[in-house]
Amino acid sequence: MTEDAEGWRRLDARMLLVHPLETLIRFLPALLALVVFRAGSEDNDRWELYAVPLIVAFGVLRWVTTRYRIADGQIELRRGLFTKQTTTARLDKVRTIDLTARVYHRVLGLAKVEISTAGGQHDRLVLDSLGVDAGRRLRAELLHRLDPAVTGLPAPTGAPVAVDDVPDDAPPPVDDEVLVRLDPSWIRYAPLTVTGLASAAAIVGFASQGLSRFSQERSVFRDGASFVSRLAWWVDVLLLLGVVSLLAVGAYVLTFWGFRLTRNRLGTLHTRRGLLTNRETSIDAARVRGVRLDEPLGLRLAGASRLKVVTSGLLREQGGSDWLCPPAPAGVVTPLALRIRADETAVSGPLTPHGPAARRRRLTRAVVPALLVAALLVVARLLWDWHGSLLVLVPLLLVGAVALGRDRYRALGHAVTPDHLVTRHGSLDRQRVVLGRDGIIGWKVEQSFFQRRVGVATLVATTAAGAQHYDVVDLPVEMAYAVLAQVSPDLIAEFA
Amino acid sequence: MEPLDVPVAPGAVLREPAHRVSRRALLMWRLQALVVLALLLAGQVVWWLVDDAPSRTPHWVVGAAWLVAGAAYAVAMPQWRYRVHRWEATPRAIYTQSGWLWQERRIAPLGRVQTVDLERGPVAQLLGLASVTITTASAAGPVTIHGLDLPVAHELVDALTAAAVAETGDAT
Repeated sequence: MTEDAEGWRRLDARMLLVHPLETLIRFLPALLALVVFRAGSEDNDRWELYAVPLIVAFGVLRWVTTRYRIADGQIELRRGLFTKQTTTARLDKVRTIDLTARVYHRVLGLAKVEISTAGGQHDRLVLDSLGVDAGRRLRAELLHRLDPAVTGLPAPTGAPVAVDDVPDDAPPPVDDEVLVRLDPSWIRYAPLTVTGLASAAAIVGFASQGLSRFSQERSVFRDGASFVSRLAWWVDVLLLLGVVSLLAVGAYVLTFWGFRLTRNRLGTLHTRRGLLTNRETSIDAARVRGVRLDEPLGLRLAGASRLKVVTSGLLREQGGSDWLCPPAPAGVVTPLALRIRADETAVSGPLTPHGPAARRRRLTRAVVPALLVAALLVVARLLWDWHGSLLVLVPLLLVGAVALGRDRYRALGHAVTPDHLVTRHGSLDRQRVVLGRDGIIGWKVEQSFFQRRVGVATLVATTAAGAQHYDVVDLPVEMAYAVLAQVSPDLIAEFA
Repeated sequence: MEPLDVPVAPGAVLREPAHRVSRRALLMWRLQALVVLALLLAGQVVWWLVDDAPSRTPHWVVGAAWLVAGAAYAVAMPQWRYRVHRWEATPRAIYTQSGWLWQERRIAPLGRVQTVDLERGPVAQLLGLASVTITTASAAGPVTIHGLDLPVAHELVDALTAAAVAETGDAT
């Protein structure tokens, strides 16, 4: 790693190749549109080529002006030519580190390093890009605080940095404990999650847009459409299910291929995943505040679930940095959760139900909207003469709503253990959150008008980690304060 | 171990926070409600001027509807809020109660406080009031007390800042 006298380091010079490529990809739709447009005109002036030197110059400028260094217990990132911008973060505030390598990064042996620090989405440093080795070394430096000036401790003995310095396909070194490794048979769960279906829908949308833009000759589609419309309706449904499932499987493979969760001897969790884009996330053990077990309806019926981590300073929960286990059999996920939070009662023990008022509220909230829709259908039949067969939906709706309400009540529950607060809710999207009591930094007791009338409250534990707040829904009021008193006795002693 | 193993007497509920906010907060909330009503009136006037239809009946119906609802809001909301709004700060914690239709109580230990802000909107300045916002490391956890007398607010900010400074660590 090249450093100057003051310890400043640069990005990897190979990023000069990545930058124009990324710009090209970003403007690909515009370029394609240009090509299509030009095909019909006589104009031969390739004026878009003038942009190329500009893009290259911009990349060079970025490389020249971006520097970072680790000094005095801080990481500093300096950018910009005209407006010099320096971002500084204390090393002991570093929470998680993401290494992302898209296909073109991987070809060049690069990775984008994103460092997140305490307090919100904006506090992050992005180094785009470093060599993979340099990135992993930096990660080890930051997360393991190898700088004795910061920790006040001697650097770990042995080969401290080498733990992370392994080639992609090598097995993890002995002192890295492998917690979970993707079993290819888990791919069967892909079509059962909303995430899988959503990605399938996104792919369909993107593809159809792209196709309609560039196909002058649409006879293929016409033929296809007429073929599909000639089939029986149930064949159509099966066809749709098949296509969607295939796409969901594709998305699953792209995201989770080679998924591996390891824990090193300092307790840091590392995940690595992705078929084309490689993603490595390292989560400081001291920041882990709990886990979230997701059991959406589809997975639950198949006896599967998935696991996420509740931690502070994660870069993007949406991007999936918080996955500890992709959809997998419950027999794998539950023991895994136990290895991360060793509290059997919290992870898999029975929960205290919330009682009849909560049950009534679940049913009301499911049935009333269904009744409204049913009433609308009846009105539509009477006034606008809608087809009578639609009325078949009415009993189906009501039965479905009752089932949903009952299932939502079954999910509702909480528990307090010596180390954790556990809350579970939801039917279609059921989740059980095991939150460390030391991670709770405040409380709310919320009551709407209707909740006050039936004597229930929603107890909200606020935290710096994960979703920032975790709710125990519709507890009887006394129970809510009992939980509060049990988890934070010192805090509420003054107000009792 | 059983969940809820610590015996807590059934019916044990927290008492209310000790202090009410300033009585002038009533006036502040009423003025704020009137601002909303004024905006609705402005919308109604614009509609009246823009609409070309010969019939003015819809105008009267809509106008009457929001006038009744708005008047009820301007009369009832401030009273209701004032009855609910309470706060208390001890050397260890801050405890508030707020809302009207939706009510909530918030408790935050002072050890977890990151910033303390004093804000004064135009109406609050007019009435010599201020609101104090106490932020913790959780994005879900800011505690705000509206409608404090300005001297009380200053005193509270000083006390909270002293407590927050005394605490070390990153409060997560």
